[in-house]
Amino acid sequence: MVKPDGRLFERVSAFLGIEAGLLDARDWHAWLALYALDARYWAPAWVDDYAMTSDPTRQTSLIYADRVELEARIFRIESEDSYASMPLPQTSHVVTCTGVQQAADGLVQAKANWMVHYFWRTKGAFVRAGRYEYELRGDGDSFLIVLKKIFIHDDRVVGPIDIYNI
Amino acid sequence: MNLHQPLSRLTPPASPADMIDDRPNDAVFRVSKSIYLDPDIFEMEIERIFSRVWNYVCHESQIRAVGDYVATEIGRQPVFATRSKSGDVKVFFDACAHRGARLTTRRSGKAPTITCRYHGWCYDTNGKCTKIQHEKLGWPNGMPKDYRTDLTPVPRVANYRGFIFASLSPTGEDIGSFLGGSARVIDTMVDQSPQGVEVLDGSIRYTMRANWKFQSENGADGYHVAAVHRNYAATVSYREQLVGDALDPMKATEAGRILNRTNTRTGGYDLGKGHMLNWSDRANVAAIPLSEREPELLKQFPEGFVKWMVRRGRVLTTFPNLLINDVASSAIRVWRPVTVNDTELETWCFAPVGESAKAREARIRKFEDFFFPSSLAVPDDIAAMEGAHEGSLATAMGWTEFARGRECTIEGGDDAAEEMGIKPATSTSQGDAETCFHGFYRRWLELMSAS
Repeated sequence: MVKPDGRLFERVSAFLGIEAGLLDARDWHAWLALYALDARYWAPAWVDDYAMTSDPTRQTSLIYADRVELEARIFRIESEDSYASMPLPQTSHVVTCTGVQQAADGLVQAKANWMVHYFWRTKGAFVRAGRYEYELRGDGDSFLIVLKKIFIHDDRVVGPIDIYNI
Repeated sequence: MNLHQPLSRLTPPASPADMIDDRPNDAVFRVSKSIYLDPDIFEMEIERIFSRVWNYVCHESQIRAVGDYVATEIGRQPVFATRSKSGDVKVFFDACAHRGARLTTRRSGKAPTITCRYHGWCYDTNGKCTKIQHEKLGWPNGMPKDYRTDLTPVPRVANYRGFIFASLSPTGEDIGSFLGGSARVIDTMVDQSPQGVEVLDGSIRYTMRANWKFQSENGADGYHVAAVHRNYAATVSYREQLVGDALDPMKATEAGRILNRTNTRTGGYDLGKGHMLNWSDRANVAAIPLSEREPELLKQFPEGFVKWMVRRGRVLTTFPNLLINDVASSAIRVWRPVTVNDTELETWCFAPVGESAKAREARIRKFEDFFFPSSLAVPDDIAAMEGAHEGSLATAMGWTEFARGRECTIEGGDDAAEEMGIKPATSTSQGDAETCFHGFYRRWLELMSAS
């Protein structure tokens, strides 16, 4: 990905920023609407210091969700009945697109670096970081997310790992 | 009798005996809230419990090939387990014999020759020093007789059916005696396949701002499930509704049972030696990955034992800090004491070797639903334990009492215990009783009182 298509790069960067902003604004349903019905949301787990899990049929992942499961997570957050999710932390996602590529199958592949600062009045401030890999399907002027892979650098974490803080 | 006497300030180091108020004739069992907070008690625990008991180190399936290693800690002491060239699992202190630099450079890896990156000394997987950098130059007259050159093995290592334990104490009871009845509970998991069980790739460490003993309580605590995991049950039910008729039976969950809406039998045991078992009959056996093997298992094992494997979920907590869960999925969890109010936990999925691909995948999805800090359940447990720790700071309240379930607790084993072949100290006919904690804390006091 050494010669980014400037226009595509700009459009994808803007899209990733919108996605991040919706999470920080806790606009869960608008965030979910960015995901295709056949979307996969996948945060692998660490195997060793360099490798993360890659086969969800034989290895565990932190999150391996389809769109229904994302909807269920939003249900859990909105229920206000989860001890860990009340109160929610304040979050700030900082996302930088690091490359885009138009793939042969019509999807756009994108990579990004991410960092999330999350803060509770009761517990304090924490930061996590990692990378994203996306597959995006064109949707009019915008995109739908077909695949979002979230690689979390931290293998020793504080607090929940959920859609709002990765 | 005033059950709420405020605790006076403990200025000289607290005595472990002051932490436990155990008066069976008065039907009282309570712990001082300081047991979770006192830094001197914590140091005593490191010395008198973690440095003496059998500590779980890893599972043999995590180190299959010669040189495979896993690095961890026992108490505060860094150790690593490795598959030796002799074929067995060895556990060494993770420190070069020379000037003590930590040898492992990763949490896990492969090192058939272990090389210290500080001064270049090398070891084989039996801990034998195989090379000393510039040896003749430094020791022209040969190595001094009592100079340490080989790795120091952890004094005792044991392998119970694939579960590797190690003890920092050179003397003490053997692993079978230490595990007591919990060994048989482990059997109900390992016997699910003729090849035993294996730990799956994928893990994470997570921390909680709470004393380690809150996690020791949490696994045996059936009572919190309806409150803390109500949202988990509601969430998986909601998800199943969204999927509708397309839901594969093996992907179903037992949300109804979790909310106490089914009439299934539950219970618990003080297994003796501080170990605890919480159990509940499964409401929907088809949802269990193992159910595909029930006919085969009935040919090999007595019906009562197979009932425990297939039809009854078990959460085993072995003293002091190991949990093995075989309920909706199957998990191993350890929690390491870092400071008096800081604990590091780590969880892995384990599975019977050779189960079908469909069962394996269903098991993994259910594991992800519940067990990681990214799941729909464990974060709520962590929040509960942190809340319990924080509330304990109200030491003016004095004591925390474990009173629930006395009326449903009997001495010795019940019929279900007989089906498994164990002789617990006590049995309860409700999964949400608190009497098993009496056994945990009595064992705690026994070890803490031995100097």
